[in-house]
Amino acid sequence: MTWALFWLASFVVAFVAFSVISLLIAVRGIAEIRELFVALELERRRRAR
Amino acid sequence: MSAPAIGPAFSTLDAAIAVLSLVVTVWIGLRVKRYVGTIEDYLVASRGMGLYVGAASLLSTEVGIITYMYQAQFGFVAGFSAFAVGLITLAVCLLVGRTGFVITRLREMEILTVPQYFEKRYGRSVRVLAGVLMAFGGSLNLGIFPIIEARFLAVVTGIPARYVGWTMAALLLIALAYTAIGGMVSLIVTNYVQYVFLAAGTVIVTLVCLREVGWGGMVAAVESHGGGQGFDPIADLGVGFIFWQVLLWIALMTVWQSVAMRTFSTRDAAVGKRMFTLTGFLFLGRAILPMAWGIAALAFFWGRATPAVVPPAPTPIARIAQVDARLALTFSRDLDEGRLERALPQVELLDRLARAEEPRSPEAARFVEKASERRGEIGLLAMPWMLAATLPSGLLGLMLAGMLAASISTYAGYFLGWSAIIAQDIVGPLLSRGAPVVSGAEGGLVSEPAVPPGSFALPSPGLSNRAQLRLTQVTIVALTLFIMVWSLVYHLPGPAFFYLQVTANLFMAPTLVAVVGGLYWRRASAAGAAFAFVLGALTSLAYLVPSLRVGVATAGNLSWALAVGGFVAGSVLVPSRPVTGGAEKRP
Repeated sequence: MTWALFWLASFVVAFVAFSVISLLIAVRGIAEIRELFVALELERRRRAR
Repeated sequence: MSAPAIGPAFSTLDAAIAVLSLVVTVWIGLRVKRYVGTIEDYLVASRGMGLYVGAASLLSTEVGIITYMYQAQFGFVAGFSAFAVGLITLAVCLLVGRTGFVITRLREMEILTVPQYFEKRYGRSVRVLAGVLMAFGGSLNLGIFPIIEARFLAVVTGIPARYVGWTMAALLLIALAYTAIGGMVSLIVTNYVQYVFLAAGTVIVTLVCLREVGWGGMVAAVESHGGGQGFDPIADLGVGFIFWQVLLWIALMTVWQSVAMRTFSTRDAAVGKRMFTLTGFLFLGRAILPMAWGIAALAFFWGRATPAVVPPAPTPIARIAQVDARLALTFSRDLDEGRLERALPQVELLDRLARAEEPRSPEAARFVEKASERRGEIGLLAMPWMLAATLPSGLLGLMLAGMLAASISTYAGYFLGWSAIIAQDIVGPLLSRGAPVVSGAEGGLVSEPAVPPGSFALPSPGLSNRAQLRLTQVTIVALTLFIMVWSLVYHLPGPAFFYLQVTANLFMAPTLVAVVGGLYWRRASAAGAAFAFVLGALTSLAYLVPSLRVGVATAGNLSWALAVGGFVAGSVLVPSRPVTGGAEKRP
């Protein structure tokens, strides 16, 4: 395997992985943000009491 | 005859897209301030961060316009060999993610900053010393971001030079506004939105590069204009450089404050480990994709270039001097107008003639160095000029929205990270000097615990929670002002990539050595940690003084060697008993 082929493979892996994981983050992140807000709101109410 | 000058296609539509993205970000950032009540909410979002949001926050903090610029510059100068750094990053992330090396122990301690660990393990003096070096190196590191990013914005938007400074000041103030008010809670939420913009911008630019020059064009450009280099990282970059990168990335992923704060903010240590495994591939893209943009820019401008003519002169050195004089007249203007296809062949000609003459004439070596510096300068601006020339209106606005999101999230993350250290580990401990102290390890004083042993709930004993919060907010404002001033007065001694890594290395080597030693070596002492910090910082400082002419890899590796040497020697010669959080025997 030449260096040029090796770098092509690295580039493809980097591009595909970046795109797929970013898509995953965009979709799954919203639910996590909601959970964070719920947790912070509970904590805020607990402190207010 | 050279190709026509590049004029950015930046339109009202692009400006509207970019401004809208900023308004959405600030609106979201300010809305969450009601959730911030304590210093723990402010610095680590009550440790409620999940896996995907954590990955987004980590990446958007560690990716800014400057990241894309220096990575593209590295790709432009070193060709595909630069990709090796991306593979190192991936390997380190997977190692940390799979084993939990350092991060698991630190996360379980529930600390807010890395130097906080040093107080428990080595004493308050080591905490303050580490805090000073981290704040100093971190601020220097952040200090050049605005001036380099301003050049990117000037190129892609066509904003006149006199307004670019104001544009950068506005960006800094936007980041300041929601970071100072909402802290980590604002950051996590805005980072998520910013990551979506950033990722879209990254994919768009990569596709544009592939469409413009193609992979074959990139390979051909490196083969033709890489000076026989650009594919074999071991031959091109050297084993020393690669070894230093491995060490530096282990440190960056475990104890770099803005990264460590994400680890401390995760729900638990297991989420922290998974976050690193997931982000490993994102960090691979963070390196390799912009490096490929730099190579694409090399191919793009060589594709528009015509060969430079050797001037008639009686001697080789006179010909070299003539090429250099010709460059001196046109180089800066060519860079400012995007006529890189005119500058590149002349720089290559200067390099070729000077290298051929170097064995016979010591004077030629000076021209080789000048050619290398100019190649670096072209490399920094080649990618933005290529984008300005190739992206149509609309797409340019989307790309800019992504880049601005990347930048503001980085400012916000770093403001919070470094100001947390200044407030919690330098000013806080110094203000609370009156707090009762007890003798701890030899060579260091440890504050009397206000919380049960082993717990790290109060980072600055003696200051109320509200006072700590206010102190951190004031520090963020002061840090922003410093960044604005430093970016105007400092002149880079070499490529931005090296400056950024060396300023980071100023404290990264001793920090990792002292953390690992403290966690895993029972004999580690406060004196050893202090020696590690002082000696480790010295060589990195030497690189920042151009007259000392210390090479980047030398400075990097020496910093590590001296930090380890100082730590071991200090610990053996001046031993002390570990207090808590040390390498105690596990059941």
